[in-house]
Amino acid sequence: MIQIKELSHHFELGKKGQKTILPVLKGITMEVGKGEIVSVVGKSGSGKSTLLNLISGFIRPTEGEIRIDSELVSDLSEAKFADFRLEHIGFIFQSFQLIPSMTAYQNIELPLTLKGEDEKKRKEIVNRILEKVGLEDFQDHYPSELSGGQQQRVSIARALVLEPTLILADEPTGSLDSETEAEILEIIQKLNRELGITFLIITHDEEVAQIGNRTISIKDGRIMEGVTAV
Amino acid sequence: MRYKDKYRFIRQNIKKNRARTFMTILATAMGCAFLIVLASVGYGLQQSVVKETLEDQVVTQIQVHAKEVDGNFEAITIEDIEKLEKVEHVKAVTRRNQLGQIPIYTLDNYKAETMAVSAHYPSEVASGLELSEGRLPENPNEVVVGYHFSDKLFIDSAENVYDEETNEVKEEFRFKGNVMDQTITMTVKQDEEGKVKEEIQLTIVGVLEKPGREWMIDQDVYISQEVFEQIETFTGSVGGVIAAEPDQMETGHLEIFDLVNVYADNLEAVQGIVETLKEENYATYSVVSEMEQINTLFTIAKAGLILVGTIALIIASIGIYNTMTMAVTERAPDIGIMKAIGANPKTIKQIFLLESSYIGIIGAVIGTIVAYATSVLVNIGLPMILEMAFGEEMPEGLQFSSIPLSLVLIAVTICLVVTILSGMRPAKRATQIDVLKAMRREI
Repeated sequence: MIQIKELSHHFELGKKGQKTILPVLKGITMEVGKGEIVSVVGKSGSGKSTLLNLISGFIRPTEGEIRIDSELVSDLSEAKFADFRLEHIGFIFQSFQLIPSMTAYQNIELPLTLKGEDEKKRKEIVNRILEKVGLEDFQDHYPSELSGGQQQRVSIARALVLEPTLILADEPTGSLDSETEAEILEIIQKLNRELGITFLIITHDEEVAQIGNRTISIKDGRIMEGVTAV
Repeated sequence: MRYKDKYRFIRQNIKKNRARTFMTILATAMGCAFLIVLASVGYGLQQSVVKETLEDQVVTQIQVHAKEVDGNFEAITIEDIEKLEKVEHVKAVTRRNQLGQIPIYTLDNYKAETMAVSAHYPSEVASGLELSEGRLPENPNEVVVGYHFSDKLFIDSAENVYDEETNEVKEEFRFKGNVMDQTITMTVKQDEEGKVKEEIQLTIVGVLEKPGREWMIDQDVYISQEVFEQIETFTGSVGGVIAAEPDQMETGHLEIFDLVNVYADNLEAVQGIVETLKEENYATYSVVSEMEQINTLFTIAKAGLILVGTIALIIASIGIYNTMTMAVTERAPDIGIMKAIGANPKTIKQIFLLESSYIGIIGAVIGTIVAYATSVLVNIGLPMILEMAFGEEMPEGLQFSSIPLSLVLIAVTICLVVTILSGMRPAKRATQIDVLKAMRREI
């Protein structure tokens, strides 16, 4: 599903002429198989979020290549990567990233709208997904009217509407209490089991990492040997 | 993404900032209205001038005054007429000669003094001459008279026959009957004092139709070529002029014409005929040529007015730029989320460009309505104000402001172009928003 080869990335800090290079990822090579749940763990500043941002195409690698579904995405233009994201990747963010002026229904509908689906089809899909995540009664609520768990379920529903083969989750339970966290993790496992969706979960929480088939540990921009299998 | 959904997005966004959007639309509407009203003055005055000019003259008519030969202007001869008749798209060439003196006509105890004109009837008929009653002359002593000829007749013995105000024959002295089939006596003089006179009996067989304009008066008597020549022989001068000195007399009739008009078979052909005649050194005048000059002048004036009006729109566009820049900044987190889940930069750009176009369209529509209302008010109010201020009555049908569809289209196009251009940079900025910074609310 995901093949990463010799992936390196650094940030340039400071003003022009006085720039300092901050290496974040140093020659990462890894693979995520189809239908797997892979957790990437590491301390703050280890480079795990940068890895996710590179896979997502939000930033471009300094070196190395990333393939998703055999497509060399690290070489795609911004516009083509956007189209690729819409078609193949779903996102779950720690802070949910819902559009505050849109209702739960509209937030979930957004990827379908961007894809250009007609209203009838959108309604059918969104209603089905709302049922799946148990939010039928909250579809007209705005994010500010929903609890953290409900917001994350909206976020998961949004990630699911276009039936992606891969979902990238960045600290999906980071803003939730333990009870809600368990609920969300259960949903992720259920989706993996029933729909065969591949999950790459970035977390610093060992408990969250436990739901994965594998855990990849990152330290100082490198994968720690011997801790990738669960 | 479908246009319907983009439009839904825009409406949602506008709803969030109603006051700001309203003010921006208002500025655009004012700019658009200013442009239209300003240019409408050019259109209105052009329309009035053109209307006035066209109403006074026959549009397919080309007056041929003379022919230039070696720097001198010579009268039009029968050879010229034959040549003119052969020009492509010429329907008719009328030629008239005005008698060089004003004869006196008597009908029973009524008399009148009015011009006599010799006309060539076949060409007159071909040019569109029509009678209100009777028929065209068939023999030399038959004549047709102008529609108002009978108004000129008054009782011979009466005094103070003319009304001082209107300068027309007073009602009580006027001829009340019908001049049709009446025999009139035309008296022409050989000298100023009228010592030697000749009387010619003429029968009125037709009356010309009423002139097209209310104020036009046709009181002439249209005599035959033979009668005209008879008068020339009597006076011993060309055109029947009363010569000051006997030795200035030139006897014999010359085949030249005072009033020569060429009629085109359609309006579009007029300019081509004028060009041909110019090449042949004929001095011409046509209302179409005059129209071209008038239209050129007004086109320049209108272009200038539109340019000035556009400046107002450019000022309004600063407001649009500001509104759109603020909108992009405010919506940066939403844009970041949309980009993260797969919104194409092109889609983001289109949404913002559509939003600025939306402001432009609404502004243009409101501006056009306001401009139409202003135009109506100006056309009603300004003549009243000017009449009150200067005490002069404005010409009938004078239009200060006119808004044709073409002006609306020009204004709306300019408005749209200006608003789209002003939305370009903010829209581009929206596409360049960094997803991560936007999602972290760092923008």
